[in-house]
Amino acid sequence: MGISLMYYLLVSGGLFALGLLGVLIRRNPLLLLLSVELMLNGANVALIGFSRHWNSTDGQVFALVVMVVAAAEVVIGLGLIVAVFRQRIALDVDGMDHLKG
Amino acid sequence: MGERIAFAIAAAGALGCAAGVVTLSNPFRAAVSLIGTLLSVAVLFLLAAAPFAAAIQVIVYAGAIVVLFLFVIAYLGERPPRIGPDPMGRWAFLMATGVGVLVALGLIGLLRSHLPGMRAAFAEAGDIGSPRAIGMAFVDTHSLVFEATSLVLLIAALGAVLLARRAVLGERGR
Repeated sequence: MGISLMYYLLVSGGLFALGLLGVLIRRNPLLLLLSVELMLNGANVALIGFSRHWNSTDGQVFALVVMVVAAAEVVIGLGLIVAVFRQRIALDVDGMDHLKG
Repeated sequence: MGERIAFAIAAAGALGCAAGVVTLSNPFRAAVSLIGTLLSVAVLFLLAAAPFAAAIQVIVYAGAIVVLFLFVIAYLGERPPRIGPDPMGRWAFLMATGVGVLVALGLIGLLRSHLPGMRAAFAEAGDIGSPRAIGMAFVDTHSLVFEATSLVLLIAALGAVLLARRAVLGERGR
């Protein structure tokens, strides 16, 4: 008895939905970023599962590129959070609703 | 059978720790919970003949990205008190209902789909996940993507430096 693509897609969808829920309901920007990581990991599970299903390396290459994008996103996101924190603004995304140059 | 048991344990660990990331209110605990999810996902990668991706998942994700998170959480320290009393955002219940509807739709789509071989066990895997195969794919067919990756990382580093510089300048101006 092996594993089928179905199980990978179920886990992937579950991770993505939990991450989406976190992005929508959390107010702390740090936890928002953590939830985005969950969504990216859900996508990666689907990519790796499909790569195994079609017996091709391309899905894994795509997953590695997604990891690079995730690293870049975390660097910029944490930079923004630290910049906001140094302005003595409360870390609450519901309060950050003004944009000013 | 052993494969299935390992898959079930890893999947349960991934989803359970993900639920912890979404529900825990302490950012430090949420980040540690994310490590659990990432390691479980690495096991899922190993079971899908992707040892290189699993190694990168552990080294780059759990090793570097989450440590960066933990560093920032420790640097920010005790947060200023929240404005509102509720820890979740406005309309949290509505959002949860929307996500629930999405999950139901996705499940229906998944169960009704007729992708060939989707429910059958995976066939014997070729050499698709070894460092050699990944490296050959990167320099052979995906060399442009490889170069674009380096550009993305460079721009991210530049952006982070600029953000930090502006934050420091803004503080000095007061």
